[in-house]
Amino acid sequence: MLGFVLRRLGFAVVTLFAVLTLVFFVIRVLPGDPTVVILGDQASAQSIALLRERIGLDRPIWLQYVQFLGGALRGDWGTSLVSGRPVIGEILNVLPHTLELTAFALVLGVAMGLPAGIWAAVNRNRIPDYVTRIVSLLGLSAPAFVSGIVLLLVFAIVLRWFPVISSGQSTDLWGKLRDLTLPALNLALIMAAYVTRVTRSSMLEVLSQDYVRTAMAKGASGTAVVLRHALRNCLIPVVTVVGLYLGILIGNSVLTEIVFNRPGLGKLIVGALNQRDYTMLQGMMVIYTLIVVLVNLATDLVYGLVDPRVQYK
Amino acid sequence: MTIRKLKLYSAAAALLAGLGVHAATAQTLNVAVPGNDMATLDPHRASATLDKNVINWMFNGLVRTAPGQFSLDTIEPDLAESWTISEDGLTWTFALRQDVSCQGDYGPLTAKDVVYSLKRAASPETSSYAGDYAAFEEITALDDHTVEIKLANAIPTVLGLLVPFNGGSIICEAAGEALGENFGRNPVGTGPFAFAEYQSQQYVRLIANEKYFRGAPQIKEILFRYLGSDSSRDLAFQSGEVDLVNGRFEESWLNRTAQLPDTTVQVLGPYELHQLHLNMSQPPLDDIRVRQAIAHAVDRAGLVAFRGEMLTREATSVIPSGYLGHEPQDLPEYDPEKARALLAEAGYPDGIDLKTVQTTLPAMLTTMEVVQAQLAEAGIRLNFELVDHPTFHAQIREDLSQVVYYGAARLPVADIFLTQFFDSRSIVQTPTAVTNFSHCDVGDADITAARTELDPEKQKALWADAQRKIVEALCAVPLYEMGQPYAWNNKVQFAYPLAGSLNLSPMIDETTRLAN
Repeated sequence: MLGFVLRRLGFAVVTLFAVLTLVFFVIRVLPGDPTVVILGDQASAQSIALLRERIGLDRPIWLQYVQFLGGALRGDWGTSLVSGRPVIGEILNVLPHTLELTAFALVLGVAMGLPAGIWAAVNRNRIPDYVTRIVSLLGLSAPAFVSGIVLLLVFAIVLRWFPVISSGQSTDLWGKLRDLTLPALNLALIMAAYVTRVTRSSMLEVLSQDYVRTAMAKGASGTAVVLRHALRNCLIPVVTVVGLYLGILIGNSVLTEIVFNRPGLGKLIVGALNQRDYTMLQGMMVIYTLIVVLVNLATDLVYGLVDPRVQYK
Repeated sequence: MTIRKLKLYSAAAALLAGLGVHAATAQTLNVAVPGNDMATLDPHRASATLDKNVINWMFNGLVRTAPGQFSLDTIEPDLAESWTISEDGLTWTFALRQDVSCQGDYGPLTAKDVVYSLKRAASPETSSYAGDYAAFEEITALDDHTVEIKLANAIPTVLGLLVPFNGGSIICEAAGEALGENFGRNPVGTGPFAFAEYQSQQYVRLIANEKYFRGAPQIKEILFRYLGSDSSRDLAFQSGEVDLVNGRFEESWLNRTAQLPDTTVQVLGPYELHQLHLNMSQPPLDDIRVRQAIAHAVDRAGLVAFRGEMLTREATSVIPSGYLGHEPQDLPEYDPEKARALLAEAGYPDGIDLKTVQTTLPAMLTTMEVVQAQLAEAGIRLNFELVDHPTFHAQIREDLSQVVYYGAARLPVADIFLTQFFDSRSIVQTPTAVTNFSHCDVGDADITAARTELDPEKQKALWADAQRKIVEALCAVPLYEMGQPYAWNNKVQFAYPLAGSLNLSPMIDETTRLAN
């Protein structure tokens, strides 16, 4: 298993290198550069040229690439071209907010999706099944910025249970939960819908297996059969979806962060892209790639926990 | 539902409500602006409106526009008590107040600080506005409270460069030196509010400067929040979490927000002038008849009706109204028939196609869609190349668009607007380029002469001539002027009428109150 993990981490380094190279060149091919953002639209061509020289954008692109890679290997990701602040510091400032949001959303998504999927499966082609399927379809179809505004209208404006500005400032647990609940719920909705659908179909398949019929025949209660015999066996596809979806959640968090006014990676990357902040974008791509690679690795390891037949070679 | 369950639900609801909405203290003013984050709070560097908005409350200049006003006609003393001008107009001597302290522990403000600050503003190493101060030849402290500025040549406005806007904001030397590159994250000024805290992507917190020389502010804290989503910013204002909000550039926003209880909605100046710059260097726009056709095909009144009459007004010249030197011009009347006739006369009876690089920024795109429809009536087909906003800025500076739709506000002096948009030295793709997208040069002589003219009346006449010539040549077709939409809870009480501010945020100072 250790060999497996090490090999996968080795691949991760190669992936990171490829992503970095791609990102480095692609963002520089885009029209527009950060100098107009930094100097404002009144800047003259002379001052723009001076600034390009000062921040090194006038150097040949291969030289910039070599310098960037050299810095990256030494752990120096440079400073944001626009704000002048260290890239790593900026990312680490907001990363915990995004991780906190996605982790909570993941828990909520599974907590809502798994029981709903099981409930639908055991009630196949009856009213609970139809209701669950329709609701999960709605969950899949509603974009995060629409569901977010609806949640805010209901819970922050009408009921006044939660604040509109979920800025994650509170330090006590209650405050944190209050800030986190609505955004996490919003982010969890789509995930819950996915989990529901996957759980349902996986559970249906398991329930048709011989050993389930045997368990029923020996007189075990329906609940015991589902929870003790069938559940664990239907989890493999669910774990895959959850693993895949964690990466998507982090990517999707941008809309939720903006609607709920939370700091996070999503807001940072949108700002960096709009400002053509090359160094910041590079740093962020590394973080995103790292997260996706690590989540995939963790998913593979969870398979072993869920299914003893899985072996790591 | 059983009684027990009901009790349980009520208890849960009460608990949630108790946890609920932020109850900001009466001393805290919550401000929300559209945007994601701060870039820098160094006034000599900041170019983003959001950054200037908050810088507005921390700094002073030698002089200032009257509180609530942005016109340079209202200039009054700020850090300087008085000033004298030599006969040739080239030496300005300022006597400073003696009761001014730098925020924090940086001691009293003296002439040395003013000299340091103005030199910093004039240096390209430390300032984005160095060019504005190029004529400041010598800046010296004659004694602790007297500053002398010697100019190399006359410039259109000296006092305009000394208001707390861009390079004119005065920085204390000890703070500037101690903080160096970090000054933008820990700004230190002399104004009514001092920087206290910055939370990435969330807010800047300012606290009252109890030592402010005009008296301690009544508001004790300002939370300046970055709320990027229009809808949730509106909801935060509606829920009372925000007291003062910079709104959307939409008439419907103004109307809707004005319906909220205890709310004041106002459009503040300075107004941005939106116009179409026509690239006269290439066919078919090198033919004046084609440019006249475009000017006659534009219905300014229709555009104002579309954008809303509270937010916008018809443009009257190629520089915004209210600017020093602005002179209303006779702009071509809306007449699509005449436009067609002019096109036919120019040899285009079937109309023309024009390439337009167009930003997808919603407010700008919708306006241009209306312009596109208006021009189509006269057979002028605007073919959009839709690009994101940074690409738009790059490509229009590469001379890739035949028609450039641009909105801008500048320091309200005719010279700056005329120089950046219509002086031939500012033509795009030249070494001295700024934003002359039309390749206009018809006003050069007047703009240059006005720049060093000492007699204000003659200077205004020269600026008026430049505007007339630019309008006649149709380097640009002025469309409309648009203000800054703001709304505030009536708890916020300003001590003076608000017309606007150069930094595009309402002035909050020692007189502003937050009623309970």
